[in-house]
Amino acid sequence: MIIVIDALNKHLFRGILDEMFRLRARVFGDRLGWDVRIQDGKEIDDFDHLDPAYVVGLDEEGNVVAAVRALQTTGPHMLADVFSDILCGEPPIRSATIWESTRFCVDTQRLNRGRDRNSVSYATCELMIGSLEYARTAGIKDIVTVIDPVMDRVLKRSDNAPYGYVGKTVPMGKVPALAALLDTGTERVDRVRRFAGIEHDVFLTDEEALKLFNDTHAPGKPMETLGKGPLNALETYLLEQIQSADSPQELKMVHELIDAIPSGMSASRKAELKQYPRTFAREA
Amino acid sequence: MDIVDLGTLPKTEAVYSAFLLQVREKFEMDHAAYAGINPAAGAIHGYVTYADDWKQHYQQQGFHMIDPTLHMSRRSIAPVDWSRLERNKEFKRVFCDAHDFGLCDQGLTIPVRGPYGDVGLLSVTRDCSSEEWRKLVSHVISDLQSMAVHIHDTVMSSDQLGQILYHPALSARELEILQWVAAGKSQQDIGDILLISHRTVEVHLRSSREKLCALTTAQAVGRAIGRGLIYPG
Repeated sequence: MIIVIDALNKHLFRGILDEMFRLRARVFGDRLGWDVRIQDGKEIDDFDHLDPAYVVGLDEEGNVVAAVRALQTTGPHMLADVFSDILCGEPPIRSATIWESTRFCVDTQRLNRGRDRNSVSYATCELMIGSLEYARTAGIKDIVTVIDPVMDRVLKRSDNAPYGYVGKTVPMGKVPALAALLDTGTERVDRVRRFAGIEHDVFLTDEEALKLFNDTHAPGKPMETLGKGPLNALETYLLEQIQSADSPQELKMVHELIDAIPSGMSASRKAELKQYPRTFAREA
Repeated sequence: MDIVDLGTLPKTEAVYSAFLLQVREKFEMDHAAYAGINPAAGAIHGYVTYADDWKQHYQQQGFHMIDPTLHMSRRSIAPVDWSRLERNKEFKRVFCDAHDFGLCDQGLTIPVRGPYGDVGLLSVTRDCSSEEWRKLVSHVISDLQSMAVHIHDTVMSSDQLGQILYHPALSARELEILQWVAAGKSQQDIGDILLISHRTVEVHLRSSREKLCALTTAQAVGRAIGRGLIYPG
């Protein structure tokens, strides 16, 4: 299911946005090897600070499985700036009725290769339907989208082939990048819907999206015991720090903090705390 | 009725007001309003079709400082239907008074982002059933987007600084296509010549028109020739 998040409702969806930025770090930083800035396991760039709109796909358990970012072509956007190589330095297309979409990504770790509801194919189609319908409702007729050749093939295979391209395909990290044109017409959306077997309204209301995400992602009850003994306030605090660490570096700092506690905590208790598992998703 | 082409006329307040009146007529709205913020020139522009008494009251009360149809909508990339705005203190303050002046709270605001941090906001309102409103909006929203950018670009390029900053930058592809139009070729012909789809041709033409602040392709060709960007015929 799809939720559209922009500057007007993003205060409700910090959790979903954080998950999306982590997915982007895995896809664009690790898998595609693009030169992106990753901090605390999240990929966030300058354009994320310009109030873009995000179209985000959630699976039935409320996990972020797909996302894309939209900006107007009349103002600052990526093709005018960081992706100017694709346009060979030429000025980009500028129109009131054309949006740019970037950072199109799908969670290939969580999703399977089949055609069911938990497949890459389904999540991609649902996200395409969501973004095309959102754009059309806004009066947008075409989208220029920066994608890699794999995504280009996925679009072609799902009866959603771009009708054209601008500029050229340029190397970017481990894979090339290119700019494709898609119209937001009902015929195109109908073709994608038929291909994926999606007939329902794909959009969630703010309330529905919050419920779906929070039902599975709400912070769990605080732990009361660890190993042999009950947790005191200091130990509870340290565990919370471990659980909320976003990167191995942060985890290391918590471990150093534990080591630095002078007295009142036995070495074995410290070891117990430091063994508390915290894994960071990394894509091969 | 055709919309006034702002590109050909001297830039005066009366021209912008006439433009908004025509937007109002053409798109069957009760009112239309434009607000433009240009940080480079440190200027704020406002043109409306509202009656003078509401204009005065709005200014005296300083509503432009709190009006959520401006301050919230400018942060969206999509048009913001006012039904989406939170009915908070500011909203109630503006629209309570608006109601007393016979104005309704059914409307939408189209945000335009320019290249230099400039922001334009075209708002339209209409008092009718919500069903009728939805139908009307879906019918006219694309054209309203184009009108919003047209008035914004014109207002922003109306001063000397703007004229320099808003110099139209067309790509080689856009100029190539305009040159073929000037030579009398149809979109389909041009697509065949350049081995691209006719919709790609149309997108480049749309972009060229808007960069040249023209509402029709014929005007765009005329202006491109006038600026020496392409050769005549």
